[in-house]
Amino acid sequence: MEIKKMLFVTNFEELWFDALRSLMSLRKAGLEHVVLMHVVERKIGYYTTEEKRRLKEMAEVRFIDWAQSLFEEGLECGSYIVEGNTVRKIMSIIEEEGVNLVVISRQKRSGLEKFYIDSKTIEFLRKTTIPVLVHKYNVGPGRVNDKPFERPLLATDWSPQSNRAVEFLVALKGIMKKLQVIHVVTEKAMAGLGKRGLKKMERENRRRLGELCDSLEAEGIEAEPHLYIGDVTQIENAAREREATLIATGTTGKSAWQARWLGSPSQRLAEVSELPTLLVP
Amino acid sequence: MKKVLIVDDDVDVTTLVSKLVERSGYKAMVAKNGVEGMDKVREDKPDLIILDILMPKESGIRMYRELKTDDPLKDIPVIILSAIAKRSFFRSQKVLDEFAGQSVPEPEAYIEKPEEPEELIELMKKILG
Repeated sequence: MEIKKMLFVTNFEELWFDALRSLMSLRKAGLEHVVLMHVVERKIGYYTTEEKRRLKEMAEVRFIDWAQSLFEEGLECGSYIVEGNTVRKIMSIIEEEGVNLVVISRQKRSGLEKFYIDSKTIEFLRKTTIPVLVHKYNVGPGRVNDKPFERPLLATDWSPQSNRAVEFLVALKGIMKKLQVIHVVTEKAMAGLGKRGLKKMERENRRRLGELCDSLEAEGIEAEPHLYIGDVTQIENAAREREATLIATGTTGKSAWQARWLGSPSQRLAEVSELPTLLVP
Repeated sequence: MKKVLIVDDDVDVTTLVSKLVERSGYKAMVAKNGVEGMDKVREDKPDLIILDILMPKESGIRMYRELKTDDPLKDIPVIILSAIAKRSFFRSQKVLDEFAGQSVPEPEAYIEKPEEPEELIELMKKILG
């Protein structure tokens, strides 16, 4: 899986140039081209024409500044400042530009310091067919996540989408120091199994984790397997325990995982997680 | 009639510059990014290119290098007309020269936006005669 072209979508709330710069290690994974994008939402009564003009001008000035820095480093760069429905606009730019990765942010609730994944982001995550990084650069007062790809944690549910997440991470092997691989056995999956059945399930999952880590090590990636029991909040716990810098997962179309990641419980998880989340469809 | 290709994604710029080109007695052609620009260069062989830098799909930096490393096209003169600072353009060229192990010549002129119409007209006349 190649990562040559990245679409960086910013509303100038969460993601600024320092957040973009934190992703520049992707150059070692083949990144050549950054497409900057800002969408001025078209909402009736939301912005006046004059406000929209000012927002676009502000975005243009920022993007020129950012582009200059990227050009000076020998990267290719383009920009879009558009007006309309955010999801539709992002989808159309993905198609037009043929990007390999989209970077978006969480939204900040007005008046509160809490963050949340808004409905637009969730709609986009449901529709997109390319990997998306929900970047979380500012992780707390005075703390930033400036090396998100250094120690990722891969949460696998053994789906084809999880395999694609593995492929994506393999492309980052020149950047990462160590990969933590976890599988969470859900209480639903354990229901009705006796003690022996549980042991068999545990053994089977440990075997698969071991095989996956062996194959990653064959690719030159130091990988460590972990088995957890519970729900997806265990992913966050594992990430904290293992000092991960990013959580990567496949977004399975019909499984409970997508519902959890992209529905309301996952929304909560993504909201409270301090880590960038890489979602691979 | 000599042909001038304007490569810019900003319609306001292409409209204004096209008028200046035509008022100066040349034929104006327009492309909105580097990919379209190179296609037009190959099809229509313009006598001068007025090139923006920051554009979708392919920037003027990439298009400029493609042009200047293409033997049949490399002598077409280029005026860069961009909001990107001249300093950044030359720094990027230096980095790309080192990376590619090949240096490309400087453009005929570099104008930072917003352009002065008189300056652009004068430059076009100087280059095209």
